[in-house]
Amino acid sequence: MKNRILFGFALLGALLMTSCASDDTADINITDNSDNSVTNNNTTGGSGGTGGQTIFLSGTYTTDLTLDANNTYKINGSLIMASGTTLTIPPCMTIEALAGGADVYVAISQGARIDAQGTADCPIIFTSDASAPAAGDWGGLILLGSAPINSVSGTATSTSEIASLPYGGTNASDNSGTLRYVRVQYSGGSADGQSENNGVSFYGVGNQTTVEYVQVFEGKDDGFEFFGGTVNANFISVVNAQDDSIDWTEGYTGTITNAYVKHGADHDKGIEADGFNTDIGNNSNPIYFSAPTVNNLTIIGLGSANSSEAIRLRAGTRATFNNVSLEGYAEGFDLDGNDTDSPTGAGVTSGETSVTDILFTDITLKVKNDTGVSFTDADLISGDGNGTGTDYATWGAGWTVGN
Amino acid sequence: MRQKITLTILLFFTFIIGFAQNGSIVGKVQDKETNNDPLPFVNITVKGTSKGTTSDLDGLYQIPDVAPGTYTLIFSFVGYKTQEVENVIVNAGKITNVDVIMTVNAAALDQVVITATTRKVSEAATLLEQKKSKDIVQIIGAEELARKGAGDAAAAVSKISGISRQEGSSNVYVRGLGDRYLNTTFNGLPLPSNDINKKNIELGLFATDVIENISVSKAYSSKQYGDFAAGNVNINSKDYKGKGYVEAFVGTSVNTNAIGEDFVVSEGSGFFGDYARHNQNPFAVILSHGVDPEDVSAPINVNFGISGGKSWDFENGSRLSVFGTASFENGYEYRRGEATDFTTVEKKAFEDAEEFEYSTTTTAMGTVNYKIDDKNKLKFNSLFINSSTNEVGYFGIDGQGRNRDAILNTDEGFYQMNAQFDQNQVYVNQLIGNHKSGKFELDWAAGYNFVLAKQPDRRRISIENYQFAFDNDPTTNPTFFSNVDYDNQRYFQDIDDTEFNGRINLQYEANENFKLNFGYNARSKERNFENIRYGYDIIDSDFAVTDVNNLDAVFNPSNLSLSSGQGIYAIKVINAIPTLSNTNRPGLPENTYTGNLDLFAGYADAEIKSDKWLIVPGIRFESFDQSISYDVINLGNNGNSSASAYENFILPSLNIKYALTEEQNLRLSASRTVSLPEFKETAPFVYIDVTNRIGGNPDLLGSNNPDFINVSDVSYSNVLNFDLKYEWFYGKGEIFSVSAFAKRISDPVNRVVAFDATGTQRYFRTGEEARVYGIEVEFRKNLLQNEDEETLLAAGFNTTLMHTEQDLFDVIQGTYSVNFRNDKDELQGASPIIINADVSYSPTFGSYKPTGNLVFSYFSDRIDALGSGQLGNIIEKAVPTLDFILKNKISDKFEVNFSIRNILNPDIKYVRETSGGDVLVTSTNGKGVSGYDRGRNIGLQLKYKF
Repeated sequence: MKNRILFGFALLGALLMTSCASDDTADINITDNSDNSVTNNNTTGGSGGTGGQTIFLSGTYTTDLTLDANNTYKINGSLIMASGTTLTIPPCMTIEALAGGADVYVAISQGARIDAQGTADCPIIFTSDASAPAAGDWGGLILLGSAPINSVSGTATSTSEIASLPYGGTNASDNSGTLRYVRVQYSGGSADGQSENNGVSFYGVGNQTTVEYVQVFEGKDDGFEFFGGTVNANFISVVNAQDDSIDWTEGYTGTITNAYVKHGADHDKGIEADGFNTDIGNNSNPIYFSAPTVNNLTIIGLGSANSSEAIRLRAGTRATFNNVSLEGYAEGFDLDGNDTDSPTGAGVTSGETSVTDILFTDITLKVKNDTGVSFTDADLISGDGNGTGTDYATWGAGWTVGN
Repeated sequence: MRQKITLTILLFFTFIIGFAQNGSIVGKVQDKETNNDPLPFVNITVKGTSKGTTSDLDGLYQIPDVAPGTYTLIFSFVGYKTQEVENVIVNAGKITNVDVIMTVNAAALDQVVITATTRKVSEAATLLEQKKSKDIVQIIGAEELARKGAGDAAAAVSKISGISRQEGSSNVYVRGLGDRYLNTTFNGLPLPSNDINKKNIELGLFATDVIENISVSKAYSSKQYGDFAAGNVNINSKDYKGKGYVEAFVGTSVNTNAIGEDFVVSEGSGFFGDYARHNQNPFAVILSHGVDPEDVSAPINVNFGISGGKSWDFENGSRLSVFGTASFENGYEYRRGEATDFTTVEKKAFEDAEEFEYSTTTTAMGTVNYKIDDKNKLKFNSLFINSSTNEVGYFGIDGQGRNRDAILNTDEGFYQMNAQFDQNQVYVNQLIGNHKSGKFELDWAAGYNFVLAKQPDRRRISIENYQFAFDNDPTTNPTFFSNVDYDNQRYFQDIDDTEFNGRINLQYEANENFKLNFGYNARSKERNFENIRYGYDIIDSDFAVTDVNNLDAVFNPSNLSLSSGQGIYAIKVINAIPTLSNTNRPGLPENTYTGNLDLFAGYADAEIKSDKWLIVPGIRFESFDQSISYDVINLGNNGNSSASAYENFILPSLNIKYALTEEQNLRLSASRTVSLPEFKETAPFVYIDVTNRIGGNPDLLGSNNPDFINVSDVSYSNVLNFDLKYEWFYGKGEIFSVSAFAKRISDPVNRVVAFDATGTQRYFRTGEEARVYGIEVEFRKNLLQNEDEETLLAAGFNTTLMHTEQDLFDVIQGTYSVNFRNDKDELQGASPIIINADVSYSPTFGSYKPTGNLVFSYFSDRIDALGSGQLGNIIEKAVPTLDFILKNKISDKFEVNFSIRNILNPDIKYVRETSGGDVLVTSTNGKGVSGYDRGRNIGLQLKYKF
């Protein structure tokens, strides 16, 4: 018996020797020259400093914050304007954000306003403080309002992807302030393992808000994203966004006039549009879908061999496009949906979704219909060949970059 | 057989009518092993008749209505020498007294382990314990566990009526109420959870060789913590008392699905579920080790273990007993099914997905009992469990996976790989004492628990255009999907829990019919959590993945992008170390939190006995203090904060037993209890799962914000419990019982998809109240007996029929918001029908006594996740389970056991109810795939006693 036990232990010992996990983690030395975005919080710098001081901005402001053109400002955390306050930024100011930090962004809460009015000669610039800035260095601009969203019903609000702030309501003519001649650069930093900031996010923003002459340059995620709301945006430009350049969802019903999208090496769609938030469903009563109007739109991809889709319409969204120019994609329009909760195709057959005057250049397939509802290209498109797109050379001159 | 039933019925009538001219036999059974302490639960039969009884807690027994004559009495008890007392003369109208002293049967000792106070291993004994208990409790002992082939505590409790288990996990539901309504204790002291998302420890971690018995209390008594809604599961650890033995077993089994597969596991862990890199910085681990899973040889399950015990008697009358057990088992499982995330649209769909799972459990327990004298006892118990699962999932292996947010191709070719290793180590140490003096008895216990739960180095890879991996065209290749930096990632998570707890109970026995209990409970628990994640930012989105099975060739330090435009990937972290970059640098944890829970309670109850009544009124005063402080990402300026709640409760309870006859009881139980929020439910940070995001909601602690709708200043649920039970113990090991129960839970908490931009699941008080009504029926019968009255064929059956409903608010508007389209729904996790059944056959061929068991269980469709707004419910489809276990005792020393588990091999499915019909989806409570079968497990085990 003893022998057997000994044998058993020997066997066990042998198993232990051969079967245990080993920690063969080696010392690996990497010589890294890429780390040039290390920040030094003590440096003064940037443009706009005229002998003033460098002021770090973060935290929740419950009173108005007016930036002084004589100072230099650096965002080093979440700068959140609470309801009832206004953030005023003078023209010509460049505001740098701490590169590489999580939770570095500017959020204008429901009931708060931003007053950022640059000029064509002297735009306001939000950018990274890195010496060699890169997309995703910091978060971005977030505006939240109380205009309708279809992800909730009645007076309920939803909470934002970044910062968990409330948005949405019943006030279509809500006013979150003014963005004019503003450039947002190197935004789109990760907020958690799944969420990234956009360049400018509009959460339930109302149509008394003024948004014109705004560019998002080198963003890691989407350029402009509209989560419901009624805000109108004029003269907007997205260059080198790595995800979708313009994105809408949750029942967005505003008008975008004069939009220019140009893709860089890494990119997703020119426009990716949902009728409602597919994570939580369409909870409006009566049910409605996103249905914006887009006038004078130009989207430029990397060629039909390299870029997949210019405009993707999903989850029941409607859209009225007037005067469009699409260039360099395998597919011009890709419509996805079904005949139940996501009736994207029904929007085409009912005439709620239409394209009037368009020019396709280097587009392999003009319309891809995955909606489960049959329609012809002509049901969607009229005036093929008549589109000119937006006159970016004129309105984009001077204040935009990366063209 | 018919004769036996007729006889039983006849006897029953006889009993009711009564014959005055008969005599009776009474007496006392004592235990030589314990200095002639009373020995309860001894079976006493009158040879040649069907008469018999069992000794009570005081060792006393009575056999009434015995016709005058001369009889032989047989006294038997597991582990003890059977005694026959001949020439017992019964005279009409007289009482015959027969006292015996039982001695341990050395040969039988090693089959059964005996506890010091009550011996609750045999089925008959556990039924008796149930019969005598003050409360409504169900007990399953080691013998029944072994017979029904329950491999662990989770399988064991699922044999009890009203209890069902979630397939593919060890979640246990008691009367449809899940984890947050249950408590688990070990020797009466609280146990910590090994899972951040759970309140209760995974019962599957307790192998049967550490279990003496498991009891499930479905009715509340004031000795229990007030956070009680569905039940308390108590596991009593094994003890030993006797001359000494050593037993060893070795076994093997195969899973019919796993056996043919080229099995893979996540790299870095060992055969025994160990991992040697816990002390390394995660950043060093990801630089030094790749992402590819590794092959393992033949997926054949093994198990082996050894246990033994010995007692020493000292001259002064004291005795020291030790018992130790150590065992290891592993299992290979292969699942092939679908993995789909469907809300109202298809978000991600893998119609062909597979998962490999290698799991291990290592258990060691040591128990030292020291009986100082007849009045004072001490016990020290130490338990260690190491459990691990190693899962590798490949999703979209047919090249046809779809992701609606894919960049290059939304129609096909989306593919993901997830390889993760989870290791849980649980240490439990308890010191327990019992002291008697006159009319006083003092019970006390103190415990220290420690849990380490780690998920080191989970690897997740996302690929687009995977279909190009099959086309043999070197010019077309898959590429990485890198929408966010963390689509290709390595993840590390650490939790540790520390708990001190204690209980003390003083019993005063005024007289036989009146006892008083005074007690105090305390527990203080702390949890620390942290996680960190590194993402692979792919520099060139067109980078061709030429061999999807050799990603180590990509993700190794020589391809790290160290200067602009160079290399293949850069490593990103969310929380950079201040002054360091977030690129190619180690970082700080993403989320950390520390949770504290303190519960202190005093209670008193009385046991008032009369001839037929046992009335136990009780009251408990409990204070509850919980706080959580957290530092989490993506909550803006609210990310570094804390929350807390403090409440005092007064909890009355009443348990009444009325003995209709010697064998039949009527029981009634009514109580008020509470249901408390957990820290994970209130901490407003988001845990990102493979397909889900789960976050807490501080509103659960109550709010009086006037702008909020349907959010009130309530931090706990009031629970009212009512149970009525009829039970009839009509024969040895036989029972028939019917019970009705009702519960009302105010302000119930459900996890639903909140209305936020990302569809994060959060906890809400979803309505004013939930109601549960149900009936349970249990029936156990010996169908065939041999001439020695040993049961040959026995069958058991229990079923629970339930109706549940909860009110749902139309709109909830608080810190987070949600709405419901229905104003009522069933309770999450509640199956309207639960059935457990078993048949056992144990013929005797001389000394060869095999036992064959067929064990069946079933639960009907139930809500797995409550839908909100336009989202339909997720339904867990009904699952029947059938196992066959053959215990083959070849000789006194040698056993060869054989089993086939999961004979029916049903599909495990979750579906989302949608306007277009049911859609097969995966669930957070299930595995990575859905619509799979688990395969049959065919096993062989050899057991030898030295």
